[in-house]
Amino acid sequence: MSISHTDVGDNLRKIVILGRLDLEGTKSVAGELETLAAAPKKGVVVDVSSLKFLASLGIRALLKSAQAVAARGGRMVLVVGTNAQVVMSLEATGVSNLLPMFESNAEAERAAVA
Amino acid sequence: MHNGTDTDTQVETLAIAASGEEIRRACAWLAAALRQRDVPDPRVEHLELALHEVLANVLAHGGSAARAEPIGICIEVRQKATTGEARVEVRDAGLPFDPTGAPEHAPARTLAEAPLGGWGLPLIRRCSDWMSYRRDGGRNHLVFGARWPKL
Repeated sequence: MSISHTDVGDNLRKIVILGRLDLEGTKSVAGELETLAAAPKKGVVVDVSSLKFLASLGIRALLKSAQAVAARGGRMVLVVGTNAQVVMSLEATGVSNLLPMFESNAEAERAAVA
Repeated sequence: MHNGTDTDTQVETLAIAASGEEIRRACAWLAAALRQRDVPDPRVEHLELALHEVLANVLAHGGSAARAEPIGICIEVRQKATTGEARVEVRDAGLPFDPTGAPEHAPARTLAEAPLGGWGLPLIRRCSDWMSYRRDGGRNHLVFGARWPKL
């Protein structure tokens, strides 16, 4: 399980999560995700396209961060690539209607700072 | 074990303690056992996620009784001539809970009003072709599974 980030200029933060967002995996990265998403950037892109597993607790962590970003006037979006399992989890819970998802980084970055 | 001429049925069981690490072990065990029995990958991924959510729910809401006794998991894979079927049974000693009749929360209209929970049940339902529940001998018995056609 790993989480990393890159800042692109003053307005955008990109976060990449790798591994399994199951019960154990989420426990290990949820705090850092919240901290990273709390940075005063307009847009936050979270790349979950290489996740091997996205469980309800992982979805909760993503939503919580997205709500915090929105509460300070920013926007958090997801990069899902062609990861069918991740897309299925987000669609099954209806979270795909609340958290914008994009196949590519470029689309996601544009949407995050629009 | 073999059961009849056109059906091959194989059964495997596992007992785990109620903990996050054990849930991960159970998911890995399930995925390996299903793949070994030629269950198609998308079905394996769905059943693995469903099992994770069922076990996480037991851990979160089953109470002290759920954590005091092992959780039993039994998988059964049936390969027939034209279809395959995988069945997963989870037995726990936690508080009675019937997910087949539990309501899901209404879809949130905005991000701000989205609840931070209640996502497990929709995942279990989406990842299973069927689900049944009974309370017997002081234990919850939840069965779910998937079917697939053979080409």
